[in-house]
Amino acid sequence: MSTTDEPTTTYEQAREELADVVRQLEAGGLTLEESLRLWERGEELARLCQHWLDRARERLAAAAPDDAAES
Amino acid sequence: MTAPSTPEAPWPVRTVARKVADWIGRLGEVWVEGQVAQLSRRGGAATVFLTLRDPAADLSVPVTCHRDVAERPGLELTEGARVIVRARPDYYVARGSFSLRATEIRAVGLGELLARIERIRRLLAAEGLFDTVRKRPLPFAPAVVGLITGRDSAAERDVLVTARRRWPAVRFDMHNCAVQGPQAATNVIEGLRRLDADPAVEVIVVARGGGSVEDLLPFSDEGLVRAIASCRTPVVTAVGHETDTTLVDHVADVRAATPTDAAHRIVPEIGEQRELVAGLRARARHLVTARVDQQERWLESVRTRPSLASPERLLHGRADDVLGLRTRARRMLVHRIEGAERDLEHARARVAALSPAATLERGYAVVQRHDGSLVRDPAGVADGERLRIRVAGGRLAVRVDRAGAPDTAPGPHEEDSP
Repeated sequence: MSTTDEPTTTYEQAREELADVVRQLEAGGLTLEESLRLWERGEELARLCQHWLDRARERLAAAAPDDAAES
Repeated sequence: MTAPSTPEAPWPVRTVARKVADWIGRLGEVWVEGQVAQLSRRGGAATVFLTLRDPAADLSVPVTCHRDVAERPGLELTEGARVIVRARPDYYVARGSFSLRATEIRAVGLGELLARIERIRRLLAAEGLFDTVRKRPLPFAPAVVGLITGRDSAAERDVLVTARRRWPAVRFDMHNCAVQGPQAATNVIEGLRRLDADPAVEVIVVARGGGSVEDLLPFSDEGLVRAIASCRTPVVTAVGHETDTTLVDHVADVRAATPTDAAHRIVPEIGEQRELVAGLRARARHLVTARVDQQERWLESVRTRPSLASPERLLHGRADDVLGLRTRARRMLVHRIEGAERDLEHARARVAALSPAATLERGYAVVQRHDGSLVRDPAGVADGERLRIRVAGGRLAVRVDRAGAPDTAPGPHEEDSP
């Protein structure tokens, strides 16, 4: 991740843009340079989405301990 | 079982008496309606004797009962009174006498009682005291419950034990008083006033065990019903058996069938609530986890899309194009070169064919003036002019000598062609 603190893009924004990047790449008709740039952007967005999902998992796990104790 | 009785082996009186008692006992408990014919209360005797007559059939049956049953308050038992009696057949073996043993006697006058209650009910209903719109909801888990009931009565125990088991945190503000007889109504009203005035009390329960219509009479007292209606605190009544209805049941915010039922109504069951909360928590967690799983599956599907997963495919595409173009270009080039070579060959052949060299080879010679122009007609050259002759082997510089040769050159065809 480029920024050390929390990325500003929300999960939904990243997801929407990633879906759009894939659509463009699949539509084709791009210059080599454009498709490379788009591909790189896609990778970054995917990492961002993963980041948010991992954070969600962590927060869920954080809430879990007393559950385990209780059940 | 004893052997059958015969003249030779007759049964003793005691056996006969016992068998008769058994047979009579089989009738079980009955409700009997009749009129009191004779009534004898011998001074302090614990047992009262009376004769119950069937006015329609002019038959009667002796009835015995305990003094309390006969002298119950509100029951004016006089000769001639019409009564209904709950009794069990009894055979007094000692003297071989039969009678009905009564456990409850109700005056038929009861009818007026019920009629009076009905009149009050209609009156209060008309005032709207029983309207459901007035019914207030009970607090979910009251901290303090006001309880009006007979001291150490079964009703009191039922409410306390059940409520505390369900919701250990509940506390009670007790008001024990008479729940039967002339003072009952005023006592209960007093309790209501005190508990209603106390803001800490969040709900008031009026509880009483089962009883006869007379026993429950105070709970249809107009004053008591109005007192309940004017209470600020919600009131729960649990009076008499489930089947009995008293006017307090109509005006109460909640009518409980029994004291135990009242406890169920006023406090939640703690175990139940804990389970409920745990269940909701689990469901919430499940929903969120499911959502994260679903999003992760989506992300995975997007990542495996060829355009993202294998970008080199793009390059392949490009590389293939380039490769294709190059081979085509090369093929074109080769093709053209070959073409050019072929042309060259042709041209050379034609040049070779047209070039004088071959002719010279065949012995011809090319005569040129010094300016390079070709001599085709001897007349065209002057005597002594320097000329150049090219033969296959090379060149010769010559001079024209007219003296030696005739001017008329033979045509090319007559001469011997090389």
